[in-house]
Amino acid sequence: MNTVAAPAARRNLDRLGEVWQERRGLLGWLTTTDHKRIGLMYFFTTLAFFAAGGTEALLIRTQLIGPEQHLLTPAAYDEIFTMHGITMIFLFVIPMTTGAFGNYLLPLMIGARDMAFPRMNAVSFWIFLGSGIFVYIALATGQAPNAGWFDYVPLASKQYDPGLNIDFYGYGLIFNGISSTAAAINIIVTIFKLRAPGMSLSRMPLFCFAFLAAAFSLVFALPSLTLAALFLELDRQLGFHFYDVAFGGDPLLWQNLFWIFGHPEVYIIILPAFGIATSIIPTFVHREMVLFPLVALAELLVAFLGFGVWVHHMFATGLATLVTVYFAAASLIIVIPSAIQIFAWITTILVGTPDFKTPLLWIIGFIVFFVIGGLSGITVAAIPFDQQVNASYYIVAHFHFVIFGGAVFPILGGMYYWFPKVTGRMYHERIGQLSFWLSFVGTMVTFFPMHFVGIDGMPRRVFTYTASAGWTALNLLESIGSYVLAAGLLLVIVNLLVSLRTGRPAGRDPWHGATLEWETTSPPPAYNYAVIPTVSSAYPMWDAGDRERDEARLVRGEGLLARGHETPATTVQDGTLDEVLAMPAHSVWPPLVGLLLFVCFVMLLLAHFVIAAAVGGALAATVLAWHSSEPHSEPAPALGESPVKDGAA
Amino acid sequence: MASPLLGRLLARSARHTEGQQRPPAPTPRDPGTVTSRRGVRRLRCTATVLCLAFGASALAGCGGRQSIVAPHSKQTSVIAELWWWMLGAATIVFLGTVGLLGVAFLRRRTSGLPVFGENERFTSGLVIMFGIVIPIVVLLVLFGASDIYAIRYSQAPAARSTKLTVDIVGRQWWWEVSYPGTQAVTANEVHIPTGTRVQVVATTGDVIHSLWVPQLARKIDMIPGYENRILFDTPTAGRYLGQCSEFCGLEHARMRLTVVAEPPSAFRTWLANMAKPAAIPARSRAAEQLFMSRGCGGCHELRGTAAAGRVGPDLTHLASRSTLAAVTIPNTPRKLAEWIQDPQAIKPGNHMPDLGLSSSEAREIASFLEELR
Amino acid sequence: MSPGPAATPGSAGAAPRGEMPPRTGIADTGLRAAKLATERRAVPNGVWGMALFLCAETMLFAGLIASYFYLDFRAPRWPPAGAPLPEVRGPAILTAVLVATTVPIVFASRRARAGSRDGTIAMLAIATLVQAGYVAYQLHALVGELHTTPPQSSAYASSLIALLALHHAHVLLGVLLNLGMIFWLFAKGLTGYRLTGVRAIALYWYVVNTIAVAVLLTTISPSL
Repeated sequence: MNTVAAPAARRNLDRLGEVWQERRGLLGWLTTTDHKRIGLMYFFTTLAFFAAGGTEALLIRTQLIGPEQHLLTPAAYDEIFTMHGITMIFLFVIPMTTGAFGNYLLPLMIGARDMAFPRMNAVSFWIFLGSGIFVYIALATGQAPNAGWFDYVPLASKQYDPGLNIDFYGYGLIFNGISSTAAAINIIVTIFKLRAPGMSLSRMPLFCFAFLAAAFSLVFALPSLTLAALFLELDRQLGFHFYDVAFGGDPLLWQNLFWIFGHPEVYIIILPAFGIATSIIPTFVHREMVLFPLVALAELLVAFLGFGVWVHHMFATGLATLVTVYFAAASLIIVIPSAIQIFAWITTILVGTPDFKTPLLWIIGFIVFFVIGGLSGITVAAIPFDQQVNASYYIVAHFHFVIFGGAVFPILGGMYYWFPKVTGRMYHERIGQLSFWLSFVGTMVTFFPMHFVGIDGMPRRVFTYTASAGWTALNLLESIGSYVLAAGLLLVIVNLLVSLRTGRPAGRDPWHGATLEWETTSPPPAYNYAVIPTVSSAYPMWDAGDRERDEARLVRGEGLLARGHETPATTVQDGTLDEVLAMPAHSVWPPLVGLLLFVCFVMLLLAHFVIAAAVGGALAATVLAWHSSEPHSEPAPALGESPVKDGAA
Repeated sequence: MASPLLGRLLARSARHTEGQQRPPAPTPRDPGTVTSRRGVRRLRCTATVLCLAFGASALAGCGGRQSIVAPHSKQTSVIAELWWWMLGAATIVFLGTVGLLGVAFLRRRTSGLPVFGENERFTSGLVIMFGIVIPIVVLLVLFGASDIYAIRYSQAPAARSTKLTVDIVGRQWWWEVSYPGTQAVTANEVHIPTGTRVQVVATTGDVIHSLWVPQLARKIDMIPGYENRILFDTPTAGRYLGQCSEFCGLEHARMRLTVVAEPPSAFRTWLANMAKPAAIPARSRAAEQLFMSRGCGGCHELRGTAAAGRVGPDLTHLASRSTLAAVTIPNTPRKLAEWIQDPQAIKPGNHMPDLGLSSSEAREIASFLEELR
Repeated sequence: MSPGPAATPGSAGAAPRGEMPPRTGIADTGLRAAKLATERRAVPNGVWGMALFLCAETMLFAGLIASYFYLDFRAPRWPPAGAPLPEVRGPAILTAVLVATTVPIVFASRRARAGSRDGTIAMLAIATLVQAGYVAYQLHALVGELHTTPPQSSAYASSLIALLALHHAHVLLGVLLNLGMIFWLFAKGLTGYRLTGVRAIALYWYVVNTIAVAVLLTTISPSL
């Protein structure tokens, strides 16, 4: 490398920096369309909701620490356990994976400079924030949803739940669903169209396959929930009769519509976690994933098959035997793609030379817990057995192992793994390991006994139990476990906060990772990549030749795309360059749309339909104005032409 | 600025063709990792705690009055046996998985599988075998055993295959029990004859409930607009405990019921008694007047009197029941009086209002009701 | 999988030297937009986004229609006693009118691809006029329906009214999209960005008009 070229590289970087300058201060964050900033906003917001949901969990466990406790009244308990479920699923895990991890990492992993629709990305966040505040206003005003996170009718009907509690639920979920749908559409189009030239579908990281599968599931599953909630609100507020037996309706219509969403939802929860796991494993075992194409296919298959099993949540409702047997068979079939992935991961770890650093530890914990949860899931595909343990603590154990162990552990591992990239600093390894072990033990001690207390007959959603039931010892153990778990999770946060200040500088690539995000600086500049990276394999950072080529291109100013906020768009399958897109920069419209939508939903909640319609009109006007600022780029040398000369601007 | 980066890049291993890539050699290990002595000690500590938790859980989960592994019918025996087989298979799979991870840990400095090394066909074969072939076999066996064989015992009884029918209506937060074809009506306590196929017809009067008597039968949801059926058939006399198993509101946790299985002759006696109207002794007429004048009859029926309310449980034979308020408190005069005076204190949120009775009034009504066997 | 231009060292995905690669988002004339559109090989992002949104809306209507038939099959009598049988001729004619507006929409899309701003506006305006008339008439009819078959009377009425109302809402949304596009075409001309927008709106109408047929068949099914 000759030093004459270095000033040219510097000049090119400066030019990019100028073009991609972020607006400062609060206004800058409010009007941002940068995927990294939006990802960080999602991250901190979802962490706050995780803390809220975790507090709710601790309240539950403390109420159940012994028989006949009086920490919470039955009414308060019902609100707390319902909010725990709603918070963890809709306000934590989905926005954390799709909004925080997805937004921050997907463009980096595919060599792009932003998501496909940056302003829609911003509005997804503001709508999510609005929906979270909306639902928590319910808790703050003492009328939180209280019929469980799946809210069966008629308990959730106006007759048995006349207050605003369930209306917060119904409208809140529709509100939240808009954000998730927008985010999912953004993820799909970004993965399909914005990959770096040369990154064909088969060279895309497994992380992208996982997120693609989750996003498609979201698009196809959410409408069922939206419809169920719409019917619920029509029944409650306008006297419709979808679920009302007396007028020809059916409570099972709710259950079907809900679970047609609800089952794919659990795959939407777990698939991004699979993506995180398949990013961490190859890095820390220093080997590419065994049977990469099969793993990718399995991820897509899980999402697809997940749409055909929903009735297994309804095995105790008295359906015809043939119907239940069909869905049990479908539920067993879906085990296969999951088993393929688990064994591919384990085999990769076996064949490689694993370095048991904190991120990999979390993934090992994930594998252990996901196997436990998967096994208990298989047992409930045995219909007669499910007809004993359904709606008991056995099921609570099952879904916590697959959701907490299966999704949250990779999230925590991912937080450690990408912490150096996002912050530029290393976390403290020893405390990291301690935080893992505390959380692992805590999770096990909290949830494993639940299998047995469920076998022993303890139903779920009970605010108390009698001393004579014989469930005291196990509940005590579970509650103690939950405190240990809380300590472990707290330690994770403390570790990362402290490391933010005192961690040693990480450099670009502390892990020798395989995917593109490790090529750029830590933290990445606003434009992510100075030159759009060359990609010729599925493990681009392990291709030294390509990375050398990128260096040379930076010096020559080739592939700089600095005429505006530019990023290339490619064809879907082959990844050949198709056009250069100009991305929007700061925009005031997304937060405005979020605010107006919030007001609209509050009006609907309060049954002020005329005002809501008026706000809808204002929304339409705002969306019209949104399109007044068209993405604009400056004329500049085309891709491949001669670089900026010495002395030129 | 670009030079150090390029220098690092050049220091890496040479470029491999696709499919045979290797990253550079791992960095020297940090002494704080799990592989250090302290780390291994931590591992051992964790393993001990977990084994204790496992053990405690497994042992504590056996044999309670609502345990599904203390079966007292053919149906629940089949399910319990199914559980034990599944638990065994699951334990093997789990230990196998942990074992493989253990091997990965022990062989962390060597790449490749034990014995077979880096053989790509073998590694792929391992995934296919354990990820596809073996699961398919195991799942087929499970499917056959549970969804083809065992389900024959747990599904709704065939029409006309049962000798007796009991109607149980779930209500917030008690169980209305009646015997079609007779006048017998009671609450929260079901009697069945031993050695007899009894059809339970499960319906609801308000929201979704779920009838679950784990030692006798699988659970069945009670859904508005649906009449669901399960089978009770036990050879063993005894008192079995059940509990509502679908969240139904404030006092869902306190909606339990007792199923009393007794020899057929004892059952017939009981049923005949249940069908009779209230046997009110002459000396209790004043108390009966108090019962009526305070409005109790508006919600509670005393068959054979003017009290005909069907909102709350039938009280015609209240004294024959062993518990009150859906197995929340024992049926004693003192407890009954407490309940009558302040039901909300015992079961907050339940639909019996505070009638503003004085304690002497409550005691009088309670002793009246305790005579209704 | 062909590696494409990335395989050539030093020119990862570059266009041949001296030639500008296709670009969008630049304020240019309609003809330039048209040229860019023809050079592009993949479906533009905006059209992808609309397509995925339409997948969600299709699932919404699939759920609505499935719920209608679910309640139908569970009911002993459908419509229940007291509810009038649905009309066939009137709704069928109206649906045919709506489906017919697909023609000017197709032409609008073509005019846009040819780079003609005025042609696009004209075709969109024709379509919008008819669609707005359709919505106005249907909303008027819906108000009448609310009297003869109030949704508060039965699950049948609830599902019928919900199906009709949601369908009309989607047509209304389409009318608003058309108007918005016409507005911006007038104000700022036909750019590559707006050309993608016209194609996306056209896709919206193809799907909504198809769903209209499904909604028609569902709502008149008791009379068939």
